[in-house]
Amino acid sequence: MAEITVFLARQVRTMEASMPTAEAVAVRDGRIVEVGTLASMAPWLDNYDHEVDDTFIDHVIMPGFIDPHLHPSMAAVLLPMEFTTVVEWDLPWSEIGAVNGRVELLDRLIELDADLEPEAPLFAWGHHPIWHGEIDREALNEISATRPIIVWHRGYHSLIVNDACYRWMDIDLDAARRHPQIDVDKGAFFETGLGFAYRYMTSFLLGTERFRAGLDRMRQVIHHGGQTTIGDAAMGMYGFEEEWEHLKAVMERPDTPFRIQLMPFEMGLGGEDDSDEAMIERVLSYPQRNTHRLRFSDHVKMFADGGFFAELLMLKSPGHLDGRHGEWMTPPERFEEVARSFWNAGLKIHVHCTGDLGVEMTLSTLEKLQWERPRFNHRFTFEHFGISSAQQVARMAEVGAVASVNAYYVYELSRAFADHTLGYERASQMSRLGSLERAGVRFAVHSDFTMAPAKPLNNAWVAANRLNEAGEVMCPNERASLDAALKAITSNAAYVLGLEDEIGSLRWGKQADFTILEADPYDVGAEGLRDIPIWGTVFEGEKFPI
Amino acid sequence: MTSPDGLVPVTVLGGYLGAGKTTLLNNLLTKNHGRRLAVLVNDFGAVNIDVDLIVSHDGDTISLENGCVCCSISDSLGESLDRVLALDPQPDQIVIEASGVADPTKIASYGYGWPGCRMDAVIVLADVETIQDKAKDQFVGELIIRQLRGADLVLVTKSDLVSEDVLNSVICWAADIAAVPVTPISHGDIDPKVVLDLSSFDPDTRWDPQTSRNADSLRSAEDMFETATLTLSRPLDRPRLEKALALWPQDVLRVKGIVRFSEACDCGAELHVVQRVGLRWSIEPTLPETDLEDAGGRLMVVVRRAAVDAASLMNGLVDG
Repeated sequence: MAEITVFLARQVRTMEASMPTAEAVAVRDGRIVEVGTLASMAPWLDNYDHEVDDTFIDHVIMPGFIDPHLHPSMAAVLLPMEFTTVVEWDLPWSEIGAVNGRVELLDRLIELDADLEPEAPLFAWGHHPIWHGEIDREALNEISATRPIIVWHRGYHSLIVNDACYRWMDIDLDAARRHPQIDVDKGAFFETGLGFAYRYMTSFLLGTERFRAGLDRMRQVIHHGGQTTIGDAAMGMYGFEEEWEHLKAVMERPDTPFRIQLMPFEMGLGGEDDSDEAMIERVLSYPQRNTHRLRFSDHVKMFADGGFFAELLMLKSPGHLDGRHGEWMTPPERFEEVARSFWNAGLKIHVHCTGDLGVEMTLSTLEKLQWERPRFNHRFTFEHFGISSAQQVARMAEVGAVASVNAYYVYELSRAFADHTLGYERASQMSRLGSLERAGVRFAVHSDFTMAPAKPLNNAWVAANRLNEAGEVMCPNERASLDAALKAITSNAAYVLGLEDEIGSLRWGKQADFTILEADPYDVGAEGLRDIPIWGTVFEGEKFPI
Repeated sequence: MTSPDGLVPVTVLGGYLGAGKTTLLNNLLTKNHGRRLAVLVNDFGAVNIDVDLIVSHDGDTISLENGCVCCSISDSLGESLDRVLALDPQPDQIVIEASGVADPTKIASYGYGWPGCRMDAVIVLADVETIQDKAKDQFVGELIIRQLRGADLVLVTKSDLVSEDVLNSVICWAADIAAVPVTPISHGDIDPKVVLDLSSFDPDTRWDPQTSRNADSLRSAEDMFETATLTLSRPLDRPRLEKALALWPQDVLRVKGIVRFSEACDCGAELHVVQRVGLRWSIEPTLPETDLEDAGGRLMVVVRRAAVDAASLMNGLVDG
């Protein structure tokens, strides 16, 4: 039997109400044997060989952070690109400053063009007209006549290219000219026009070498944020078997300090090709292929309304400020049918819903299912939870719903959405966590990376402060308490993934997954959460410094 | 047969769940209209094609003995379009089944701009029994209205299930919202010339309706429309044609043809393709190699029977 290792720390934050703090964690074979003090562990230490590891004697041990909802495959496409968003990014390989305004964006592109090897296409992700104004083909032509430049929208809503890119794509310009959502002169492709552009780019973007390099960057990003478990909330978006092979090749390695809980993208966007029974059978068969770090269980993903960054959320009255329309990603009747099949099969359903009409549709479906066939402990989870009302939260509590919230929306979007999309009242109350906490609805916060940085402390900071990029506090009554914000990245995030018996807090029997901090977040308080330095992590008992 | 502009026309079939899209598609796929259709559907399972008609079933594609194929939109619509455009021989026309929650005008963007494609029409189906309730539904009401407003033609389906009065009131209601021609159909039975591009129909072929179902009905699909060919004895005045296309009544459901203009065009093309579906019309230059036997050209029109006199349409173009 392996020896016991006792990790000593200045402070251990267990996230267990019975014993919130401790001084030591004893670990054997990657699992926690006991949490307490050296003295309290005597019955174990007197009976078994052990060593004391004081690496963390000046540090704070937290349960390993968990981000229950992000997208490794989308990140793998995006991470090889250059980031040019209105907010700053601290990525493991570089710190990227905020790019605010049209001039700053063009200047950044000039710098990037100068640094890249000749001929390599320059993909820049992060353009948003609210902050960067209109960028067009001519502006990009001035930056380079020879290098393909592609400026990608922050919410994947559009892209803008130069003439060199037209040549690189070898694009059918006559067809593009006929397309109502392509402006060939401006080099702009919108919405359905994107499908046209992807036709010429996917083989490049999804090429094995590039994709795996992107996934490897994703590996670094996750470790950098202090995460030891993540949820892939729509595995299979670019093709199930391909993604599975890529994930196995890049992530299932001894030096990967985290595990990925995979939630299959079973009900593709509009793809309704097979019976509900076949879908359920497939979902239940996936765990047979589990590896050490890549694991399926009985959770499934469904979609209600469109993306939040893309402003395709479905809203109740009074709708969008500018009269635009959101989109259903699944017809409500079909949504109900599939949800019923999943519900009756005992699966755990996670629903992407962003607007209050999306929440309403999801909630009324859940209410109906509870009426037809009551279930306890069902983990029906509202994902993202952009716009909602306090009354909806109360109903969620009644039917035992769980929430996994993108709190970061408040930071990046609350001011812009107040001005352009929703008006102030609704925008200030996006991602309402205070109501969830008061109603006793368990919630996690997630990054939906690359929608938000994959930094749990940063997301907890937004949750507990509701400060936006313009420096305003948006609806202080919807802040999460410090304790709830920290549970949202540990114990409650584990609950959302159905892994609360394995991870999320520190007690006997759980995985020895720690995030090692330089300061105690309970001492630092809500304001300082995002600035706490992370030493690194311990994954299944093994130390992984950053 | 290659169309005069070398592009494959695309028809988008929209409408909410249960509107009858699949029934209509089934009819189009199996009916003897002499055109090789490629039909792109969301749900393969729902298209219940008679096995006797199937020649082969290969993954995402079912091939029928009449030359039609049915493909599932597995990954992306663009990939599916590329797949059917690559078929040899190329299909005469592509029909895309929009998902029930799609805004069909967005899907139509693919028809307008996908390489090798040209937009034909957005046809939106509405279930006569449910459409008005759906239009008030809190979740999809606004979408239903938007779908109707995006249509070039609206088909009110299952028309045999309600009384004449109810049918007429739904048709008026839909016409008021959509502001395009609205036509009742039942069992997906409709003259293919109404829903498909006219360019490769032989003007003299009469379509043989499914008499077994509708023979007794006054609303029989065959009775409802007639097709006429306007043979133009001399080149047309372009402004006059444009005016006619803009002003011809809704009872003219489709116009398609090739014409010669009396004044030379800036683009240098001698001949032009004229198309109108519902109220949306276009005049585009043809491919250089296009022939024209008649001095002024030919226009094929589909009109509501007895509502419009084809001769008077033609006189409006060439008289005086």
